[in-house]
Amino acid sequence: MSLIAPADQEKLRDAFGEMTSPVRLVFFTQTLGCETCLQTRQILDELPPLSDKITIEEVNFVLEKEKAAQYGVDRVPAIALVGEDGSKRPKDSKIRFLGTPAGYEFMSLIHAVLLVGGRPPSLTEENRRRVMAVTRPITMQVFTTPT
Amino acid sequence: MAFVSPGITAFAVEATEFPDLARKYQVSGVPKTVIDGGDAQVEILGALPQNAFIEQALAQVSAAAREPEHQTKS
Repeated sequence: MSLIAPADQEKLRDAFGEMTSPVRLVFFTQTLGCETCLQTRQILDELPPLSDKITIEEVNFVLEKEKAAQYGVDRVPAIALVGEDGSKRPKDSKIRFLGTPAGYEFMSLIHAVLLVGGRPPSLTEENRRRVMAVTRPITMQVFTTPT
Repeated sequence: MAFVSPGITAFAVEATEFPDLARKYQVSGVPKTVIDGGDAQVEILGALPQNAFIEQALAQVSAAAREPEHQTKS
């Protein structure tokens, strides 16, 4: 039984159809002491059937600390979005989701997948230049609540 | 912004699942964005139009970014 209504599945399938490059969702999880990890996995599992460009890679947060550190992940559930560069090599989008991507956050996740999958960024040309000029490490955290 | 910028990493944080982070950054309303550039930190409460958001998000951290560069060059 899918978590997503059939009509919404079709909308997502259409939207994912526009993707020009693959997106890997690196999902950090642990078996014990993570109330929302299973729910997050169930939500993520809905996506690959809707697009052959979307894959899930599950990473055990307890056993693979190095990988978590590499992605700057210090808690679970967490999702890191990895796309491809022009030479088809993996390219970290540096976009992360901490917590269950349900409700409005699910739409944010879908938008992020589409962006990493090739949809043009919504930034204006001038803003794109300004953001591209930021080369030093900056962390942005956007706090939301489920709606 | 993270996708376009070589330096920016972006986290969407579900505040109710991580009350320790919400407390640490004093999240009293959402969306709240905390931008950390090491020696400069900016907070934006609420949603802003794109130009205003980028203006506020980058003004201080970019300014702080330039100063150390000048110091290392001199």
